[in-house]
Amino acid sequence: MSAMVAGTARADLLLQHFRSLADTSKPHHALALKAQTALHALPLPKRKQESWRYTPLPVLFEQAWEPKPAATTAALSVQQVAALALGDTDGCRIVLHNGVWLPALSQVPSGVSVLPLAQALADDTVVGSVSGPGRHLFAALNAAMAHDGVVIRVAAGPDPEQKLEILHVNSGLASGWLVQPRVVLVLEDGAQLSLSEQYLGHDDASAGLYNGMTEILLGRGARLAHARLQNEADPHRHLNALYLRQQADSAYTGTTLAMGGLWSRSEFHVSFAAAGAHCELNGFYLSGGQQSHDLQLDIVHGVPGCSSTERFKGILSGRGRAAFDGIILVQPDAQKTDARLSNDNLLLSRQAEIDTRPQLEIYADDVQCSHGTTVGQIDAEMLFYLRSRGIPRDQAVNMVCKGFAGEILQTCRSEVLQQRAQALLEQRLAGVLAGMA
Amino acid sequence: MLSINHLHAGINGEEILKGLNLEIGAGEVHAIMGPNGAGKSTLSKVLAGREEYVVTEGSVRFLGQDLLALEPEERAHLGIFMAFQYPVELPGVNNTYFLQTSLNAIRTARGEEPLNSLNFMKQVRSKLRELNMDESLLRRSVNTGFSGGEMKRNEILQMSLLEPKLAILDETDSGLDIDALRIVADGVNALRSPERSMLVITHYQRLLDYIQPDYVHVLSNGRIIRSGDKSLALELEEKGYGWIKAQEAAA
Ligand SMILES: Nc1ncnc2c1ncn2[C@@H]1O[C@H](COP(=O)(O)OP(=O)(O)OP(=O)(O)O)[C@@H](O)[C@H]1O
Ligand SMILES: [Mg+2]
Repeated sequence: MSAMVAGTARADLLLQHFRSLADTSKPHHALALKAQTALHALPLPKRKQESWRYTPLPVLFEQAWEPKPAATTAALSVQQVAALALGDTDGCRIVLHNGVWLPALSQVPSGVSVLPLAQALADDTVVGSVSGPGRHLFAALNAAMAHDGVVIRVAAGPDPEQKLEILHVNSGLASGWLVQPRVVLVLEDGAQLSLSEQYLGHDDASAGLYNGMTEILLGRGARLAHARLQNEADPHRHLNALYLRQQADSAYTGTTLAMGGLWSRSEFHVSFAAAGAHCELNGFYLSGGQQSHDLQLDIVHGVPGCSSTERFKGILSGRGRAAFDGIILVQPDAQKTDARLSNDNLLLSRQAEIDTRPQLEIYADDVQCSHGTTVGQIDAEMLFYLRSRGIPRDQAVNMVCKGFAGEILQTCRSEVLQQRAQALLEQRLAGVLAGMA
Repeated sequence: MLSINHLHAGINGEEILKGLNLEIGAGEVHAIMGPNGAGKSTLSKVLAGREEYVVTEGSVRFLGQDLLALEPEERAHLGIFMAFQYPVELPGVNNTYFLQTSLNAIRTARGEEPLNSLNFMKQVRSKLRELNMDESLLRRSVNTGFSGGEMKRNEILQMSLLEPKLAILDETDSGLDIDALRIVADGVNALRSPERSMLVITHYQRLLDYIQPDYVHVLSNGRIIRSGDKSLALELEEKGYGWIKAQEAAA
């Protein structure tokens, strides 16, 4: 009983803490003002709320995260950036260190413009136009304190192969840090871009919360290929909400790989403004040790004639956990919708835990929708087949896992990112297998 | 080479092999025929080391070793190869990568140098030509979405790459068209040598026209109930299994 009282008291304190953080940030723009109001009405996420039910909240609430000064003087060096960057974008990249844009280390292709978020907030109504002030405390906190980040605009150009990478490096802050950037990406009508993002902890040893927000607006006929690797450092908590709004005939193809950090939550909020748009979301998560990854999908088909495919896979080992909560809502007007949702999980240990809840809510009658989920261990027939060909057991397990993940990894448009993820997976699997032996 | 003695094995507490004896000498080709459910695939899997099957009695010696004490990969290293009746799909595992990993695992176990990609590709391409297989199958995931015939050819491709000492072919002819049957048989015959033995499981006498066996055995209800030469296969083709089972029951 006393523990519970203490828990409730602590929760109240935390809630007060976050609200006062927002209050003292003194924003002047409309988004922050709206978000502040929202923040005062929003509770601290609780297990009782569906979308927070299966994630270990104590890890998220372990500290009263707040913006911190750098603990070390180490700024990011050119060499570090070069080592972390994928380097397959002809040098076009945007570097955000602890959420702060570093223009000196950044360079963008022609036809692409970048503005610091703080500046854009003053006169550009695009910021917050897809995400709104935020539906839960952390989203609202990001909006209320909006300052760090960038607004990127891509015009339709002659080069359909335009490439850009964003490096989010979180490192060198005092423990208990809170970093809250927002990336707003606007592809104008007919624009095309291949974008890779990495969220990296860079061997950082301090606990902190990355609470980021991504807003993407795709104009008519715009096409975005988007590959994302979350490989935060071990003590990092990572929360990112991606809001995507698609105009007619636009296409989004995204791959999100959640591999690092102690705790992560990736949200995908997709909506369609007009017919003919297609959205493909691929995701892979790897939870080992004490890790937890939470995947939240909220796909709204509100207009006719759009299609979406959501394919997520996860490998869990040790005491790793994951939650997959995916809802596709097909509203009454959204005839001729084609929506497919799948979630497949491979459990490598008995202590690993996955909670998966794919949901289809359909209010239109002329639609094609499907969803499916699997949770299983490594197929014994597959292992036997490989071993009967002389391949040792551990290597066989490794091959089956890599094959399972590979179907998602290979959807990354950036081959370098794909190879990095593959190498990471291999390294992690080797650790798991060594632990099993 | 292979000596099976009084073998009893089963699965989920049910006995399937009930005292099976079989001797295979070096260079010999043995055919096993028998009704559905007799235990032919069970025998192949027990020999290849599928852990689900539990051996309750008897012994299997292969090249002087206690085969049953070995892991499946160790058996493969020793020279056992089983072509699966139902090859397994491995989604996301590239066929070339699989073949190369397998061949190099076995070469390493034999004390040979692993092949680099260039030399491996040379070797695999020449085998593909012999088996009249489309090279695109190499780029796909192992057996994934392969037609029945493509899967069987992929099994033979593995066999000819791995050059086993004992090849067990579990109904490799089932599901093959007439041309493919010929090609597969040629592939098998090309591997015949005084050091290499084969155990060919089939339902059809036709395969045995192409791959001439030294011995033919009838496996029924978990035991070999009759052995003979190639003429036994012809007799079975004509009369079915009923008469042997009846004789066996009477004896
Ligand atoms: N995993 C299993 N669980 C339960 N029973 C099994 C299992 N595997 C095999 N059996 C049973 O063992 C018996 C022998 O099966 P097996 O596959 O060895 O037959 P077979 O001789 O190869 O038949 P076919 O000619 O149809 O391929 C069958 O009755 C089968 O149902
Ligand atoms: Mg069989």
